[in-house]
Amino acid sequence: MELKIGVQELARALARSQGIVEKKSTMPILSHVLLEATKTEGLHVSATDLDISVSSDHACEVLKEGKVAIPAKQLYEIVKALPEKDAVLKRASNNYLELKSGAAEFRIVGLPADDFPALPRFDKIQLVSVDPKWLLEMIDLTSFAVSSDETRYNLNGVFFEPSVGSLRTVATDGHRLSLAERSLEGDFQVKKGVILPRKGLGEMKKLLLEAAEGETRLGFAENSAVLQRPRVRLVMRLIDGVFPDYRQVIPRAGEKKFTVGRERLLETLRRVSLLSTDKAHAVKLELEPGTLRVLSHNPDLGEAKEEVPVQYQGEPLKIGFNARYVMDVLIALAALEPVAAQDVLLELADDLSPGVIKPGGESATIFTAVVMPMRI
Amino acid sequence: MLNSGQNFDLSNSPRHRQMSTKGARAILHLDLDAFYASVEQLDAPALHGRPVVVAGPSSRSVVCAASYEARKFGVRSAMPTVRAKKLCPGGVFVTPRFPRYEEISSRVFEIYRRFTPLVEPLSLDEAFLDVTTSESLHGPGRVIAAAVKRAVKEELGLTVSAGIADVKLAAKIASDLGKPDGLVEVPPGTTRAFLEPLPVSRLWGVGRVTEKALARLGIHRLGQLADAPEALLAGALGRGHARDLRTLARGEDPREVVADEEAKSVGAEETFEEDLVGREALLPHLLGQAERVARRLREVGKKGRTVTLKVKYADFELVTRRCTLPSATDDGHVLFQAARAQLERADLCRPVRLTGVSASGFQAGRAEQLELFEPSPDGLTAATS
Repeated sequence: MELKIGVQELARALARSQGIVEKKSTMPILSHVLLEATKTEGLHVSATDLDISVSSDHACEVLKEGKVAIPAKQLYEIVKALPEKDAVLKRASNNYLELKSGAAEFRIVGLPADDFPALPRFDKIQLVSVDPKWLLEMIDLTSFAVSSDETRYNLNGVFFEPSVGSLRTVATDGHRLSLAERSLEGDFQVKKGVILPRKGLGEMKKLLLEAAEGETRLGFAENSAVLQRPRVRLVMRLIDGVFPDYRQVIPRAGEKKFTVGRERLLETLRRVSLLSTDKAHAVKLELEPGTLRVLSHNPDLGEAKEEVPVQYQGEPLKIGFNARYVMDVLIALAALEPVAAQDVLLELADDLSPGVIKPGGESATIFTAVVMPMRI
Repeated sequence: MLNSGQNFDLSNSPRHRQMSTKGARAILHLDLDAFYASVEQLDAPALHGRPVVVAGPSSRSVVCAASYEARKFGVRSAMPTVRAKKLCPGGVFVTPRFPRYEEISSRVFEIYRRFTPLVEPLSLDEAFLDVTTSESLHGPGRVIAAAVKRAVKEELGLTVSAGIADVKLAAKIASDLGKPDGLVEVPPGTTRAFLEPLPVSRLWGVGRVTEKALARLGIHRLGQLADAPEALLAGALGRGHARDLRTLARGEDPREVVADEEAKSVGAEETFEEDLVGREALLPHLLGQAERVARRLREVGKKGRTVTLKVKYADFELVTRRCTLPSATDDGHVLFQAARAQLERADLCRPVRLTGVSASGFQAGRAEQLELFEPSPDGLTAATS
């Protein structure tokens, strides 16, 4: 293998591998990237941890075809530090990689390309065109609610549920739930929803953030999800579990509805929760006609109180929440396309029933958050 | 005091850094002497000075405890009762009364907690105390140990053996060495020398099998174990076990004293010097007990919702009265109000020998996060709303 490639292009390929390659040394080959050069397709770079894999194609001048596996971290650090715009990569005997750029020369110890695990191929999978901005938004609107409790593995990811003409994403950690929905043409040809793992979603986000434009296609096979963008493909193994019946826990509209400025409520919660207990972030909301009072109380630290004007005329209500859960929703709503939600609609029933938060105005159908209260 | 005159080259190896005198911990191991048997002798003065064996009544039972008088005949804990009877035919065999031992034990631990909140109970008769930060208030570990012993003796008539050291391991061995009624201090920095001459079986984790394995290597004393090459030990014991034992043998034991925070209730009670009759006589005691409970609740950072009043009449009849507060508290006045209300439900005409106030029903944290899904056997299903 011998090729000449732009340093920037190579750095981009390697950057994609960094979040995926295995840090632990259980299987050394998994800390490597596979470099494959062909005269027809240029340089093909792959990385995998056996659950998630990314592979991409890069334009370059291939002098001699061939392949080799090279430690991903070291190669990336080296490439980022190269002095010139171009680099020449050459496989030497014993799987060494010789890398030259200007006056700098490296010889890097590699592994045989044949040791690299075969990446899954999905030629028959049904890929559906999606708007990358929307997909990114749907991940951002839900992934914060994913459970980090590994014993509840079926909650360790975002549930993607396609139906005719639309796609839903749902996540919950058992205390709060968030749901985003967008209309979508195309048929994923799956019978039920699938759960995408947190780590895979992080990599998917990175690829979506690389460029706002460009053909983006998403597909689900039996146990994998695939994201295809121009010249790059991400495949992840799905979480093998049953997502709970989330529809049951989304309450019908509560009687006590009010609208409040998103930024204002977020800032208030930030301030007031400074004095709540560090673990629970408990705050109390006291709703009265025209006013929402946010209070915190910590016997060791003291108390805080702030009033926020709201459009509300109903019965008063006192309810406790984990401020963090409400703030997560308000922060996520800043990602809403095309413009961040200015106002949010809160729907409450009583002090022990879940609260619902939706973006105000026309976006109300795009997103729903459900937060269980705290008994204070 | 043992080995207090020896000096050490503290710098001989940076790897087995000895704890310097400054900043060393002061850990007490307190062990009630022949606890169950002593309680029996206490409750029945006629048994005093006689060989008392606490054992189950059945022919298949084993000895729970033996007084020192009985031990002279060779009676030991865990020995079949039948055998103990043969060894000590003149012994007084008593059926165990665990509720009574628990009661006395909790009173002993109350005394311990006057000196530090860091009390780690190991059993009814054994506890570790970390008194490092109590020194400015109560004096050095040795003084505290003597004060604890005195208080337990004066208030309850029981003897405690105390061991003082900068690590748990040495404190436990020290208390055992001085039994009964002992007080043995291992001054900081002398732990290793203190351990050196002791047989390896003194170490936690050295049972008969390990002892034999070590004996095959010619290792009988802790000093030999401490100096043995790790590779040699690893061959006989496995690497992890070898490293642990060798570290302990060198007097390095980083384990902390962990206060028993999993307690389900916090209580305070008191047996009066003479029986009391009527509300006016009892209320001042309830107030004191409520305040003590509140203080301990605050120490462990808990709040209770259930307040229980315990009243023991002069004829030993015990009644409890409890109530649930609208919200959890650690406020002594609130506890007292609740206890006072419960006192009205007791018979105030009868003489009372003991009252106690306790708080339970602790809530996890100060606020409870509610679940979106009700847990069910097959995962997550029904909603709570």
